[in-house]
Amino acid sequence: MLTKLAMTGFQKRWRDYLVLFSGLIMSSAIFYMFESLATNKTFLKQNTGISMVGIIFQFGSVLLTIITLVYIGYANSFLLSMRKRDYGLFMLVGARKGKIGQLIWLETLLVGVTATLFGIIVGTLLTLGLSQLLINSLGLTLHHLSAWYFPAALTTLLLYVGLFLLAGFFNLLALTKTPALKLLHSNDQPNRPKLKPARQLVEVIIGLISIAIGYWSMANLDKLQMAGIGIALVTIVLGTYLLFNAIFVWLVVLSKRLPFANRGLNGFTLSQLSFRIRNYTKILSIVAMLFALALGAITVGMGFHRQVPLMVNGGNAYDMGLVNATHSQQQQIKALNPTTESTYRFKVGPKAVYYRASDFDRNPFITMDQAGHNQLKFTTAHNNAKQLLKSRTSYQLSALQGSAQQRLGTQMLSDAQYAKLTQPEQRLTVFATQDVTAHTAALKQLATSQRHRDAGLTGEMLGGRYTGYQLINSMYSGLQFMGFFLGVAFLAMLASCLMFKILSGAAADQHRYVMLDKIGTRKALLNGALRKEIAVLFILPGIVGVIHVLFGLKMFSFIMVGSPYTGIWLPFLIFAGLYLIYYLITVQIYRRIVLQ
Amino acid sequence: MSTTPIMTVTNLHKTYGKAGSKQYEALKGINFDVNAGEFVGIMGASGSGKTTLLNMLATLDQPTSGEVTINQQPITHLKGNQLADFRAKEIGFIFQDFNLLETMTAYENIALPLTLQNTAAKKIKPAVETVASHLGIAEFLNNYPNELSGGQKQRVAAARALINEPAMLFGDEPTGALDSKSARELLDLFTTINREQAVSILLVTHDPFSASYCQRILFIKDGKIGQELKRADLSRKDFYQQILDTLGTFEQ
Ligand SMILES: Nc1ncnc2c1ncn2[C@@H]1O[C@H](COP(=O)(O)OP(=O)(O)OP(=O)(O)O)[C@@H](O)[C@H]1O
Ligand SMILES: [Mg+2]
Repeated sequence: MLTKLAMTGFQKRWRDYLVLFSGLIMSSAIFYMFESLATNKTFLKQNTGISMVGIIFQFGSVLLTIITLVYIGYANSFLLSMRKRDYGLFMLVGARKGKIGQLIWLETLLVGVTATLFGIIVGTLLTLGLSQLLINSLGLTLHHLSAWYFPAALTTLLLYVGLFLLAGFFNLLALTKTPALKLLHSNDQPNRPKLKPARQLVEVIIGLISIAIGYWSMANLDKLQMAGIGIALVTIVLGTYLLFNAIFVWLVVLSKRLPFANRGLNGFTLSQLSFRIRNYTKILSIVAMLFALALGAITVGMGFHRQVPLMVNGGNAYDMGLVNATHSQQQQIKALNPTTESTYRFKVGPKAVYYRASDFDRNPFITMDQAGHNQLKFTTAHNNAKQLLKSRTSYQLSALQGSAQQRLGTQMLSDAQYAKLTQPEQRLTVFATQDVTAHTAALKQLATSQRHRDAGLTGEMLGGRYTGYQLINSMYSGLQFMGFFLGVAFLAMLASCLMFKILSGAAADQHRYVMLDKIGTRKALLNGALRKEIAVLFILPGIVGVIHVLFGLKMFSFIMVGSPYTGIWLPFLIFAGLYLIYYLITVQIYRRIVLQ
Repeated sequence: MSTTPIMTVTNLHKTYGKAGSKQYEALKGINFDVNAGEFVGIMGASGSGKTTLLNMLATLDQPTSGEVTINQQPITHLKGNQLADFRAKEIGFIFQDFNLLETMTAYENIALPLTLQNTAAKKIKPAVETVASHLGIAEFLNNYPNELSGGQKQRVAAARALINEPAMLFGDEPTGALDSKSARELLDLFTTINREQAVSILLVTHDPFSASYCQRILFIKDGKIGQELKRADLSRKDFYQQILDTLGTFEQ
């Protein structure tokens, strides 16, 4: 009988359950995505070569677990608020508390476990899709990445089941300890925002100090090592929360006194915000943190991506060197529109490779050298034979010779001396394109055809920028991938957190919007009001998140050559775009719930 | 008292349910007028169609056929912004369950219709204070709805309905959730407003005591107006007795 009653409640509110379900699925899917990297030790080791990365992932795991805890807390209170009335009713009609308790347990666990199982499947698919997308669009090479990774699935399942057991227990206490009548009317809680200047001032000060400590420890990671990340996490989370708590209340109360609160539905929107202020400060500080992590991860990933061509260009002035290039190879080179191309004649003796000095005097050989201490600033030098021999960068010529000849020394001979050598004359063709990374396919073709002709040539022996690109790209692929992957995962997590929180209030808002409609509010005003309300909730953590990132990026100056700040507008722009899409989706769903 | 109708209702029908599915005809041709400044009651048994009728008249729902005009303006086909503006300017509602926004103070609730029209802030405050003192809630303006009693809430709702000086005020069982003392106070208030500000009032109720405050009562039975009762010069007590008698025979 009671089970049947419970089921009807379930059917009646399937829409709300859908929101709850999709929120939980999203959350567990993201957690799985993260764990599929974090628990995959071989992947981390093979693709980064940086031991810190493993530890960063462990911190990430802990953080994500904490966020999941809060998230499930929200999901659970949403579930609870949906069922409170029903259970209150059951109690009024005389159902035994024990029986109801059983029902609550069952329901919470059922919802949780089903959502988690779905989430793991969705997570596997997402991992697969996202990694394919990243690998193809960024040209990454990755090893040992598998979308389905059992330890990750197990970790996800264990954590979620554990959390839902806890949640069920909590619901049991909350529902059975509360009198039936209170359950029936639990939806109309008051919340009068209060200004307590002294307390809020203290909150602001402590908040600012904690954030300052956090920023400082991120900037001094070289001294503090791993402890720095821990300190930063704790202090920044705490500081953000305190600041939001103090400032948000002020902001709302003060703007209510401004003339603009008297226009249209602005007053209503402000009241809506202040009504839920306590709830919102928690979620907003979490969202700000996630925002910072996501944006930071994408920015760092992009930083690595941008760094590849810079490092490649510093290694050699030429893309590739081809010994005795065939006619068809020469055609291919032409097709690449090389910015520079030279051919040098040489003969290979037992001790050295002998070049004609006059070739170099006519066509100077270009070398790259570091300018000062900055690892990414280079000077180019045009060398004739004499200059090249003196230069410490002469290895850049032998790097282009390919095959076994690389191990021999290089000598420059006058035309007369050169003519005396009896060995067969060979040609070395060197060329550079505008941008190696843009021509990888054509360069690969050239490299393969050369390898067919020269059995002793391995992939890495063609020298030049193309080889450098392959080496550096495979080294940075893992880092780039993680940056983007985590960025997207965190973004999805934060957006669904925020979306979920906002939508869980939508049911309660519905009657307010119906009422506004009844007293003659234009549709455009209603739409505007809900867009504004949701925009505030998206923008505030966004601003704080951006500030955190700007400071947080400092941490990465020690694994990145060059400044982590160059070109950050691009990831910021991409991120803003994605965030905007989430905002629009939230507005859309919210509107459908409250405005029918 | 003027005799120009402020509202005319012609041949109003309402059928619930889509064609093809199970249908139910809740209103079967209703005709009546309300004169400017009149205080009219609508009575009837539960399920007789009172709320349905009121929702049509107050533009909250659309009739299947028939026409309603308020202030010479046909209202049954209003849509979008026109509908919203009509609700905001020409009519006011009071419902049984108050329908206040619990996120806003009494003051903000009352001022809402004015801010919706972007009335100058200078004019809002005196307007709210005037109507509030009129309804005896001046001292509660800074309270939130959950800090008010049922009677006070209903007076706040009335203040909100009246602040735009509507041509018609609609009430669906506004005393339904009140104790008898609060109910009596609210009804006295309606009488005063009706007399002093010449606001026309249409009140749906099944409570004979509430109905006895009206000048004229329409009885609905099975979706039609079955009987009409005029108070004329009767005292409220006598009118009350007359209503009871009518109900006795009417609802057989
Ligand atoms: N949305 C609807 N769909 C179908 N039938 C409806 C709907 N609303 C009302 N009805 C039916 O129309 C009839 C009139 O309902 P209405 O709510 O107008 O009654 P009422 O006179 O206000 O009753 P009460 O005094 O109990 O409030 C009832 O039989 C009801 O079942
Ligand atoms: Mg009714």
